[in-house]
Amino acid sequence: MMLDLELNINKKTYQVQVHPGERLFTLLRNLGFSSVKFGDEHGKSGADTVLLDGKPVNSYMLLAAQAEGHEIETIELMGEHPHLGWKETRGLHILQQEFVTTGAIQCGYCTPAQLLAAKELVSRESDPSEEEVRDALSGVLCRCTGYKKPVEAVLRAAARLRGEEVPPIENPIQTSPEWIKDSSGDDIPSSKTVQVNGITLTAEKVITKLKVSTKPEEWQQVGKPKVKVDAVKLVQGKPAFTADFERREMLYAKVLFSPHAHARIKGIQTKEALEIPGVAAVLTYKDLPRVPYSTAGQSDPIPGPLDCFSLDNKVRFVGDRVAFVAAETEEIAERAIKEIKVEYELLELILDSRNSMKSGAPILHDEEDYVNFADSDPAKNLAAEIRIDIGDVEQGFKDADHIFEAEYEVPKVQQAHIEPHAVVTYWDEDDRLVIRTSTQVPFHVRRIIAPILDLPIKRIRVIKPRIGGGFGGKQEMLIEDVAAHLTIATGRPVQYVYTREEEFIASRSRHPMRIRMKTGVKKDGTITANEMYALSDTGANGAHALTVTGNTGHKAMALYVGSGPYRESPNIRFYADIVYTNTPPSGAYRGYGVPQGYWPLERHMEKIAHDLELDPIEFRLMNALRAGEIHPFSVAWSEGREPVPEIIQTNGLTECVSRGKEIIGWDQKMSDSSWKDVSEKPYLKRGLGAALVMQGTAIPYLDMGGASLKLNDDGSFNLLVGATDLGTGSDTVLAQMAAEILGAPLEDMIVYSSDTDFTPFDKGAYASSTTYVSGAAVVDAAIKVADKLRERAVLLLDDKAGKSRYSPGDIELSNRCAIAPDGRTVSLEQIALHSLHHANQEQIMAVGSFMSPVSPPPFAAQFAEVTVDLETGQVVVDRLVMVVDAGVIVNPITASGQIEGGMTQALGYAVSEEMVYDEFGRAREKNFRDYHIFEAHEMPVLETLFIETFEPSHPFGVKAVAEIPLDGVAPAVGNAVFDACGVNIDHNPITPEKIWKELYKK
Amino acid sequence: MIIEYHRPKTIGETISLLSRKNPKTVVLGGGLYLNEKVKNQIAVVDIQGLGLDSIDTRGKKYILGAGVNLQQLVEMEGLPPALIGSIKHQETYNRRQVATLAGTFIVADGRSPITCVLLALDAELEMVGKNNQAESILLGDFLPVRNKKLEGKLFTKIIIPSQTKTVYNYAARSPADRPIVAAAVSQWASGRTRVVLAGYGDQPVMVLDGTDAEGVEASARDAYSQADDQWATALYRSETASVLVRRSLDQIAEIN
Repeated sequence: MMLDLELNINKKTYQVQVHPGERLFTLLRNLGFSSVKFGDEHGKSGADTVLLDGKPVNSYMLLAAQAEGHEIETIELMGEHPHLGWKETRGLHILQQEFVTTGAIQCGYCTPAQLLAAKELVSRESDPSEEEVRDALSGVLCRCTGYKKPVEAVLRAAARLRGEEVPPIENPIQTSPEWIKDSSGDDIPSSKTVQVNGITLTAEKVITKLKVSTKPEEWQQVGKPKVKVDAVKLVQGKPAFTADFERREMLYAKVLFSPHAHARIKGIQTKEALEIPGVAAVLTYKDLPRVPYSTAGQSDPIPGPLDCFSLDNKVRFVGDRVAFVAAETEEIAERAIKEIKVEYELLELILDSRNSMKSGAPILHDEEDYVNFADSDPAKNLAAEIRIDIGDVEQGFKDADHIFEAEYEVPKVQQAHIEPHAVVTYWDEDDRLVIRTSTQVPFHVRRIIAPILDLPIKRIRVIKPRIGGGFGGKQEMLIEDVAAHLTIATGRPVQYVYTREEEFIASRSRHPMRIRMKTGVKKDGTITANEMYALSDTGANGAHALTVTGNTGHKAMALYVGSGPYRESPNIRFYADIVYTNTPPSGAYRGYGVPQGYWPLERHMEKIAHDLELDPIEFRLMNALRAGEIHPFSVAWSEGREPVPEIIQTNGLTECVSRGKEIIGWDQKMSDSSWKDVSEKPYLKRGLGAALVMQGTAIPYLDMGGASLKLNDDGSFNLLVGATDLGTGSDTVLAQMAAEILGAPLEDMIVYSSDTDFTPFDKGAYASSTTYVSGAAVVDAAIKVADKLRERAVLLLDDKAGKSRYSPGDIELSNRCAIAPDGRTVSLEQIALHSLHHANQEQIMAVGSFMSPVSPPPFAAQFAEVTVDLETGQVVVDRLVMVVDAGVIVNPITASGQIEGGMTQALGYAVSEEMVYDEFGRAREKNFRDYHIFEAHEMPVLETLFIETFEPSHPFGVKAVAEIPLDGVAPAVGNAVFDACGVNIDHNPITPEKIWKELYKK
Repeated sequence: MIIEYHRPKTIGETISLLSRKNPKTVVLGGGLYLNEKVKNQIAVVDIQGLGLDSIDTRGKKYILGAGVNLQQLVEMEGLPPALIGSIKHQETYNRRQVATLAGTFIVADGRSPITCVLLALDAELEMVGKNNQAESILLGDFLPVRNKKLEGKLFTKIIIPSQTKTVYNYAARSPADRPIVAAAVSQWASGRTRVVLAGYGDQPVMVLDGTDAEGVEASARDAYSQADDQWATALYRSETASVLVRRSLDQIAEIN
């Protein structure tokens, strides 16, 4: 029975006919209100928020029929672009304007929901407190921002709505230009030699060949808090994301997932499913070509085993794929899934990584077509093995006065981007397969999927629209093949979007690890040798197995080289075994193995300092890597490729520590024992903790970015980049760099990313590389275009003057003009018209690319302040302060947003997030109720400061900022817990019971 | 799968619908559960047209319509702060606009803060069944038999005392995470004290209803002595329950 409804949506009446069970969410999406997003099935994400009679509700949790008789409002009603041609527009609502200017928008997927919640708040409370704002936003999860900027935006908008003026946005950079100059690396030697296995290698100081002005005080675009280029689009909830795309005759895909952790498929019956009206295709392993591949979105050749198949006759984890269905509706597809009959032969399973390599253990990958990489050995359930020795570790231990050994553990956690994995595939008019997908790696997806589909790369086009967060979870070719196979089978467009439960059981996660540390230390605190062994659990497949765990050692174990002679020749060992288990595959997650390294390292350093009665921060700085020294791991390992020694050019760590201590009040609080007490609550104790961290910036000698720039008639530019903005703001910072060189304002840059048919190649968004690698590619293209602009300007200026007085090098580009030394100007528009229409016509454009020979590390000091309940073990994190040296900050708003959002994710890693499995390998966490990520109303105070250094290997002096905030929060919180109550927690997350057990022991 | 939607205007009409055997007919009660979990073919009854969203005071009691949403309660003056705290702990602002008290305890498990506090308040439920026959039941009696008890019936009111002292404490991984252990204590002027634990199992459990609170910490410990699951050990829960109960009683004593 269908229902006839009359609905009032955005002040218009809609007559609709729906099924009684139709959700309001589905109806709104079908009517084209694309601002209403799917985040989860339980109304926890709040991405599906609409206003019902002015109140924010979750449209996925309401039937369409329940909304009859009420006023429904979506973001589409709120405001619009301030300039839409000749027609006068309402412009953006003040709330939207403030979300744009404060940088409250990152990926923008949850932005419409936050705005609606905020609108309701300011309509009932003209002067809301921060607590009220946070409560109002509590129903909308944001994984990108850490909520700080959205809260600030609402408070500012409320003030403006009251008629008050608001101050300019604060700039979280407090470094003067002098500091930049001092740390520019001028005193760093231009080359340095190092002995590796008896061979002398030379590390050259790398200075970029791309020259721009190194006078930041003169920059007009770079270093400025510019508004994100995509903000106005996202703040209106435009149909910018993968699932917003519609196409006639589109089918909907569903996957039958395995209920067993390890089983062989003995029989599979699809007849009943195929007979359901509306089912277009049912595919099993019998229907598809068997092509081994890796889901890892990495450059060729993929540094890992090829151990995946689109569909296999064996399942290796609960959530592994068994069959694909395409149907006219999702509901029909779900019914068909239930009708597929599968006979399984259950196999012995491995859930504990400690059992994977034991003799007699069941073998996960016994298939003959498994393709090895390096030391992977499927017969031992070994996906990868790492053995790195730097210096003479055993001699270092002999030199030590003390040996400290301990074991640590880090959990499996998930990226939990609010937009799930989503893909749409279809054949275009040239019979080329178009894959519109929410991916971080469109070019890698195209390369990886081609052989799986038996199509050449040239017949595949991958389009990356806006992405609602990725955090590494979309550095995979994960679900694109599902839709593509079904499109090939049916000839029709297919959309596939993961549910939240599917995200938890069938996507990727951070590798859990068991880690053993051994450190030799002299009485004075000099580290003589440092050793880490990691047993890393890659789950059922080995994507990213080698490289994630390699980075655990490469980035974490490189930080402390020792002091005195050990600084010249550090003794460091990093061994790892990365093993298969019958759990969902691990993969890339922001930080890429490095947070797993810093938990044990920084907990271990804290214990050593405490045992030796050393100042924990001074002890760390005494042994920490410094500018001018060789990155110790650069001589030993490079993601499975030949290593090349690298000199650390810039390191602002000491300044980061100094400023961080000031901000959090370290010295005052540490010297005041009464500070730890909480008035009238003797069972509460406060504590402070710190952790020092370093990351990397891109993968040297491997990953490449490309960009193209084209001049338009009006002096604006099309900037086409293969880089993928996940919400990080990379489109904006790339455009800022181009604009700086071209003398154009940011609004004259039209940025497009990315489409494998139209944008140059880029490795994609990972390894903290976009601003550095893709940015340098943009600079390369911009310099070439700028040269052409100058040449044309000389031509135009000569025409006016009647004689040639200047060469192109004399011309300055600024304020949309080319300016001669005598002050005469010609506008970029004049240059464009001249070059396109008037004389010696040519298209002024250029392509640039960049590959880095180095990976300059950003450094940071992370501080945490906590309160521990000595009776229940509950820890509340009150404050997080992070001071970061990420080189020159191109955009302080987007960069600080990265730090705030990253610290918030890392906070979950510290205290609440983990993925647990029962004895059958079934997940405990399948939704946001059980997998708790921090909400707006429970956040600690977040503070970010940048200490700028000028990294000479990049034309604008940048280093990476995206991943480093994931590294230090958990150990800093762990160290703060120790400071508060004297217990050491060695296995995060730091749950109340873990603390309580340690207290109870005492 | 929902195959029928009804929005009756009277309670009599509602009861007729709920009394049908085929299709099975249930109330859309604001538990934010039905919409997610429907597996079989059912009909749903939307009670928004029944006027069950009133809030009244009768003597020393609050009479809360079964359709009152949680946000209405948060904004209500005079409601025990512990109840408001438990509401804010359990549900975010969005969900509070739709979720109701009745819906909440109908679908609650043992980790529900709101149900924990309601049980401590000894909430009384009024429902209407066949022939518009009214029936009262205490929440504590209802919870163990809720699935059977609901057949063909409609909640109309939830009655809670207005002058008790009530506190709520919990331990969780983060301030807004579901509690691993929670305790709610209500005390009447007569000295009657009710102590309830939450954080485990199918529903919160009561460990005391009487005037003598001596030994209640041990009772709390005993009540959770087997409360072992993937989220916490029984040892932790029982010891922490004891702590939270003691702390709650101390706080109650300090309330004027």
